[in-house]
Amino acid sequence: MASFDVKLTKVELRHIDDLVGHFRNNMELIEHFLEQLRALFVGNPLLKPHVHSMKFRVKDPGHLRDKLIRKMMLTKNQKKKFHITKENLFGVINDLAGLRILHLHTRQIEAINKAVLKILEDEHYKIIGHPTAITWDDESRDYFTNIGIQTRRSDRMYTSVHYIIKPNNRSGFTAEIQVRTLAEELWGEVDHTINYPAPSRISACREQIKVLARVTSSCSRLVDSIFNTRKDADRGRRTLGSNPRS
Amino acid sequence: MTEVKRTHRCTAPRLAVFNHKGGVGKTTLTVNIAAALAEQGRRVLLVDSDPQCNLTSYLVEEMVVNDLLDRSDKKDGETIWSSLKPILEGTGDARLIPPIKQDDNLFLLPGDIRLVEFEQELGTLWADCFQRKLRGFRGMTAMSQLVNQVAKESRIDFVFYDCGPNIGALNRSIILDCDYFLIPAACDLFSLSAVKTLGHILVKWISDWKTISALAPDDASLLPGRPVFLGYIPQRFRTYGGQPTYQYARFLSQIEKHIQNDVVVVLRRLDLNLVPNQSIKIGEVKDFLTLATNAQEKGVAMWKVTVGTPMLRDLAHKSFVRISSKIIERTLGD
Repeated sequence: MASFDVKLTKVELRHIDDLVGHFRNNMELIEHFLEQLRALFVGNPLLKPHVHSMKFRVKDPGHLRDKLIRKMMLTKNQKKKFHITKENLFGVINDLAGLRILHLHTRQIEAINKAVLKILEDEHYKIIGHPTAITWDDESRDYFTNIGIQTRRSDRMYTSVHYIIKPNNRSGFTAEIQVRTLAEELWGEVDHTINYPAPSRISACREQIKVLARVTSSCSRLVDSIFNTRKDADRGRRTLGSNPRS
Repeated sequence: MTEVKRTHRCTAPRLAVFNHKGGVGKTTLTVNIAAALAEQGRRVLLVDSDPQCNLTSYLVEEMVVNDLLDRSDKKDGETIWSSLKPILEGTGDARLIPPIKQDDNLFLLPGDIRLVEFEQELGTLWADCFQRKLRGFRGMTAMSQLVNQVAKESRIDFVFYDCGPNIGALNRSIILDCDYFLIPAACDLFSLSAVKTLGHILVKWISDWKTISALAPDDASLLPGRPVFLGYIPQRFRTYGGQPTYQYARFLSQIEKHIQNDVVVVLRRLDLNLVPNQSIKIGEVKDFLTLATNAQEKGVAMWKVTVGTPMLRDLAHKSFVRISSKIIERTLGD
């Protein structure tokens, strides 16, 4: 993370505290938003066969404060205007409500994506950020593009598919849905613990986490391969079974 | 019978005289305020949304009421229940029923004891709204849509709901449909303790609905959910020499204090616009004794009965004219 030589004034910090206060005042509503998603997604027959588990979380107000301070320092450093207000907070910060869908291997994303889009359409949610795979891995990029999911290069070393949704056009609340494999989740959790809110000062840790990303990628490939092997074997057995003379 | 059309909300303010304590004179107050408004040339629609049908019994002859209730479950039924039944059966939207014309300016949508069945369904519909189900929103707004069309067709200036004395799902949907509400308060201990809880109940309803509407799909029809407190009306206190007696004077000051602390402060904390800056007592109705009972028997306003002294009737008339003028002033700004 870049270090800034700018400092925030009392007025600027008060603005951030006002924003965090506004978030706190609406936390119950955001929890309801997540509850509604939980009721739709958990146990949904379209998703269930492909999903390992799901996580729901409302952003911690302290983490929001850190995020806003970082954003404000960045804009100040670039001599730009900080544009986040109480009116647009819920539209600009999209991960105040978050749903994470975890699965075992990469190829499941195709079915999961279809199911997620169908649920959102049936239940009248607006998709404002269409499914985007954030990835650093060229091979994965081709796969996602082939199944109709746009991709975005990431500096951070994880692979995850993101959606941004809102309940309607009226209220401006948004939520983020993330879909990733369990292996990516392990990487994400380790990275988050070590490098959040500020990157670790221990360079060896930072390096090892980069290596972990490559191991994670290999791990995902291996899991994919295991499932593909089983699928091929099953297909072979079925073909044999249906036509004993061949 | 035709289905109610879902159209834009008409401009006529909708009001409810609401207190979950029974016997504080809600229906009497509603009828007499409506009569005073009608006398001033305003067209008023009364909606009997209390399953006890007190308002309908007050205004309509017993034989007619019995006939209405006998037919209400049939296809040609003409009570609120007849209108809302399709929602409960899942066969469509509310059906249009004709209001009963009381006089040139006064109309009534008759109540029905079967409305309790709709109230039960409203509990489920509320939960559906929390889950963003369109069915929930359709049901929650059904009565509002009925009132809307009737008010438009009869060119109504004011709508008054008559509520039963409880905090059930039916009253919740009515209060959330109202633009304004008034609190009647009787001078007794129970009435005082009811006032203490009233503000908190309203805050819960309003903030729950705020959550529901903030997360509702774009095509869901919604209730406005912002009932503004128009004022309270102390009722049935005894006077001596034109002034409340010592015992009632004490109650009156306590009522004012509780309304201020447990309604005004609590509502303002949620939204300043729910209580405009104006005196919170909108009027008062002393105990008119025989006038009230006789008016109820005859189905007329208190000042139109033949019992009591002309002076007492005049006093009753003035009380309600004062309240109705304040209502016009505070809602329409006239």
